[in-house]
Parts: sequence; structure tokens; C-alpha cells
Amino acid sequence: MESYLHYVLAPQMLNGLALGISVILVALGLTIIFGLLDVINMSHGEFYAIGAFGALALSLSGMNYWVLIALVPLLMIPLGIITERYLIRRVYDGADRHVTTLLVTFGLGLILEDILKILFGPNTHRPANPLPGATDLFGIVIPTYRLFLIAIGAVVILAVTFVVYRTRLGAIVRAASFDRNMAASLGVRVGWVYSGAFAFGVTLAGLAGVLLAPVYSVFPTMGRDFILLAFTVVIVGGLGSIWGAVIAGIFLTQVQAISSLVISPVWADPIVFGVMVLVLMFRPQGLFGRMGHA
Amino acid sequence: MRDRLDISMRANHVFFAVLMGIGLICVALAVAMNDTFYLRLGTEALILGGLALSVDILLGFGGLLSLGQALYFGIGAYVSALVLREVPSFWLAMAAATGVTLLAGIIGGLIANRVRGVYFALITFGMAQVVAKVVYNTRELGASDGLIGVPVLEIPLGVITVSAGDPLAFFLLTLSVLTILYAAVAYLFTTPFGRVVIALKANEKRVPFLGYNTWGPRMVCYVVAALVAGITGALYPMLRGFVSPELMFFASSGNAVIMVVLGGVGTLIGALYGAVLLTFLKSVVGSYTEHHLIAIGVIFIFAILFMPKGIIGVAKPSLERRLIRFDEQTDAARIKATGERA
Repeated sequence: MESYLHYVLAPQMLNGLALGISVILVALGLTIIFGLLDVINMSHGEFYAIGAFGALALSLSGMNYWVLIALVPLLMIPLGIITERYLIRRVYDGADRHVTTLLVTFGLGLILEDILKILFGPNTHRPANPLPGATDLFGIVIPTYRLFLIAIGAVVILAVTFVVYRTRLGAIVRAASFDRNMAASLGVRVGWVYSGAFAFGVTLAGLAGVLLAPVYSVFPTMGRDFILLAFTVVIVGGLGSIWGAVIAGIFLTQVQAISSLVISPVWADPIVFGVMVLVLMFRPQGLFGRMGHA
Repeated sequence: MRDRLDISMRANHVFFAVLMGIGLICVALAVAMNDTFYLRLGTEALILGGLALSVDILLGFGGLLSLGQALYFGIGAYVSALVLREVPSFWLAMAAATGVTLLAGIIGGLIANRVRGVYFALITFGMAQVVAKVVYNTRELGASDGLIGVPVLEIPLGVITVSAGDPLAFFLLTLSVLTILYAAVAYLFTTPFGRVVIALKANEKRVPFLGYNTWGPRMVCYVVAALVAGITGALYPMLRGFVSPELMFFASSGNAVIMVVLGGVGTLIGALYGAVLLTFLKSVVGSYTEHHLIAIGVIFIFAILFMPKGIIGVAKPSLERRLIRFDEQTDAARIKATGERA
């Protein structure tokens, strides 16, 4: 029993936690963009893939991985601002904002995915692991990089939460999303807040891409597989809620990790989805409300 | 006072007749030139048009964006393929596909109908993706290879028997099925029940105050959409001889949404125009480069930004004005003839 705990259950749960942290990073971007701009970003998975490919390409040109963790997300900012200014803003004030912004970002996702295919080919890449080897953590052996992933992910999540809920900048952004006319009349430059919030979400997707590139393979459609889990997390947690995404992210990936010990991993997806359906039965708005709205 | 829905539907019927006319002329040309490729491509466009029609039922009339409508299309296709491999009977395959999609539509509706707006889009996306993954990993359903070896069918249609292997005959059969589906759905939305669905899209909070149930009509709308997708999906293995899990994946659902937006949301017939356009576009662009997604993505974004009502939406208002003028003239002529007063 002791050895089962040590060699099977605990590593599985820690691996699940690493996945959970990664999913939360992707889901955070989604939920911030929805919470602040009221936009479902269907191209989020492609932004995540761009982050991973950016890290891959730059590391092939000899750049240090630790520099990339900071550099690639910064490079995502202009991409986010351009997308918000020239695509989303054009349809933002239309009749059915949710549907049209979703469709526009869906179209953008198609284009980005094909551009990645043209640039890097359809094949799978495997970037070098910057932290090879494994660490013995109280007798539980776990790959060092995953441990690092959990730690840095937790730091990023806390930092994001702090900025959104505890700083003046975060207050301005929340005010602009709650009532943009009021915020504008108080001197907030709402246009920049929207661009900035979208770029921030895209940056988080890019960061997740960089961090996950050494763990999961890098290929042009990598965002598509990941985004379903991220959407599930966001729905269960409540669209627009940061804490909801964190709790749901950890919960669902643990369900997935532990259930795949007992049954075939193939069925882990349906089980996670089943949990989502159950949550929606009792709380259609997800576990937590929206930021700035509750 | 003219009934706007009535005028709108009649305009759709005119566009349908135009599409039929163009289609039949192209078919005549194809037969004259001994072509089979474009006939089969046209058949595929029509089948995918059925899936797009199903998306438009939900989006254009129910106001619900489904990102997983290919689920029902795929279920119809798989059931049809499974039946055909055992018993090569057209009617049995169609009946089984209809029955199973009806059941799947009710189950899916019970889940998806609990939520609205973006949640609806995301949950339909999730449902389709999960079922597709299960099919992809189930060996009994052919796993990632899909089901191959669907026999070429002999389809008894009362007095005549047509072969699914004959491109012309199968094209005409598909066209007939689509016509029946289009007519049935168009009729459904002109009934009082259909008007409740449209009213729900306009203002969901007000409808219950007028004494109508909101859950029921929306549910029926969802199930009808599932059935349309499933029935056209059942035709797919008869055309191609196989089914694969890709049919259910997001790419298929997304394509259907693109078709509807290109053709014109809320027009029913726009879905078919969009399907024909996109299928032929893919075939043409695809013959030059494998990167046709860029072209489609760019066209799609341009359509949303600059032509949000689609192809049909551009031409429809003037046609509607013409129909109203025609009505007024016939009314005036009748009043003149009978001497009655308006």
C-alpha cells in the first residue's frame, strides 16, 4: 500500500498537477479575455502554439531557454494588440457580439494554424529539456522540469491574481469592463485597456506555450487538443473567474490523472466532460461568478 | 400588413429555385461532357450543405451557435455505414440513422439546452469533441481508420431502382433528399410553433409572459437540427464508401459554420449556397496548394467584417421588395377585377 502511494499514486498526482498548472495558464488567458472583454477567443489555442513554436525557433538559433521564458511572451504582445485593434474591435459593437467575435477569432485561428504549418511543416518537434533528470521529493521521483513547471506556474497564477485584484491597474481594468462609459468619463482610456487586456491574455497563452514545449511535443495543431481541456476548465470554473479557473483546473486534471490509473486513459476525457455536465446541471454559470460582475 | 416571415421565406424559395436551376444546368453540362468528378463533388457539397442547414436552423432561427453539429452528421454517417456493411438496404440505413440521431439529439439537447450563448457554443463543441475522441479510440468502430468497405448500393425507389455508384442518379437522389429537408424545415418555421422559436431568439424573457413554454420549442429546434444533420450524414458513406472520425471533429463543425456565415445566416438556403461555394473553392485552391485554410480563413474573416449577412443577405432585400411590389400589384388587379374594396 505504501509503495503504491509512493511509486504510482503520488507521481501520477504530481504529473496531474503539472498538467493542471499548464491548463490553468492557458485557461487564465481565456477567462481574462472573456471576463474583461466579453469575447470568447477561439484562436487562443493557436496563440499557445505560436508561443511553443517561438520558443522552438529561437532556441534553435542558440538562445538560452531561460531568456525565452521572458522574451517570447513579450513578443506576443504586439500580436495581441493588432488582433484586438483590427479584428475584434471592428465587430465588437455589432448586434451579436458573442457570436461574431467568436467567429472572427475562429477564422484567425485557421489562418494562424496554416501559417505555422507553412513555416515549420506539419511534423512534431521535440525541443530539448532545459532541466533534464529527476528529483527525489520525499521519496517520490518526479522529472525536475515538471517540478519547475508547477512552481513557476503557481508564481504566475498568484502574480496575475494579485495584479487583477490588488493593484490600481487591475482596478482600472475591472472598472472598464464593468461599465466602460463610466470608466471613460473618469478618464480611463478604455480603448487601450481593452487592447492591453487582450494582449495580456495572449501573452499568458504564449507563456504557457513556452513552458509546455519541453514537456509536450510541439506541432501546428497542438493548440486544438489542449484548448478543449482549457474550455472545460473555464466553463466549470465559471467564465471570467480567475479563482474558478484555478480550482476547476486542478480539480479536473486530478480527476483525469487518478481515473486513468483505474480505467483506460481514453475514457479520461469523457469523465472530465461528464463532470462538466454535472456542474452545469446544478450551476449553469459555473462554480464562480465573473470578475468585476460579482 | 404584410407578414415579413412569409415574404422572407418566399424569397428563400426563389433562391432555392435559382440554385436548383443552376445545379441542374451544371449537371446537364457534366453529363454531356462525361464528367464524374464534378458530379460527385457537387453531391458532396449538397451533403455538407445538409450539415450547414442544420447549423443555420440553430443559429439563424434559434439564435444558438453550435460548434459541434458535426457530431450528429457523424452519428448518421456511422450508423448508416454500420447498417450498410451488414444489410445493404438504403431504407433500413436511413431509418436507423434517423432513429439513432433522434435519440442522440434528445440526449444532447437535454445537456446543451441548460445553457445559452457562449456556454452553448462551448458545450456543443465539447460534446462533439469527446464523442469523436471516443470513436477515434474504439476499435469496434474502426478507431482512427474509420469504417471502410461500405458496398455500392442499389436503392429501390418504388418504380425505379437507382445505384449509388451512378454519379448522376445519386446526385439527383441527394438533391431530392435536400429538397425535402429544406421544404420541411421552411414549413416548420412558418407554423405558429416555428414563430415561437423565432420569438425566443428575439427576446427570450418576453416569450413566457405571452404564455409560451420556452424550453420545449428550443428542444424541438435542437432535435430537428440534429435530425437534418443525421439524415444527410447517412448519405455520406453511400457516396464515399467509408466513414472516418474526422467527420465528427471540430474541423467539420467549423466548416459548416463557415458555410452558413458565407451563405447568409437565417436564410436556410444560404447554407446550401455556402456549402457549394466552399466545397468548390476548397477543391480549386486545394489543387494548387495544400494550405487552403489560409484562403478560407481570410475569406471568412472578410465575410464577417464586410458582408455579415452573407451572399444571400446581399441580394435578399431587393428581392423582398420586388415580392412585396408583386403582391401589391396582384392585389390591386384583383380588387379592380372584382370591384371589392381593400
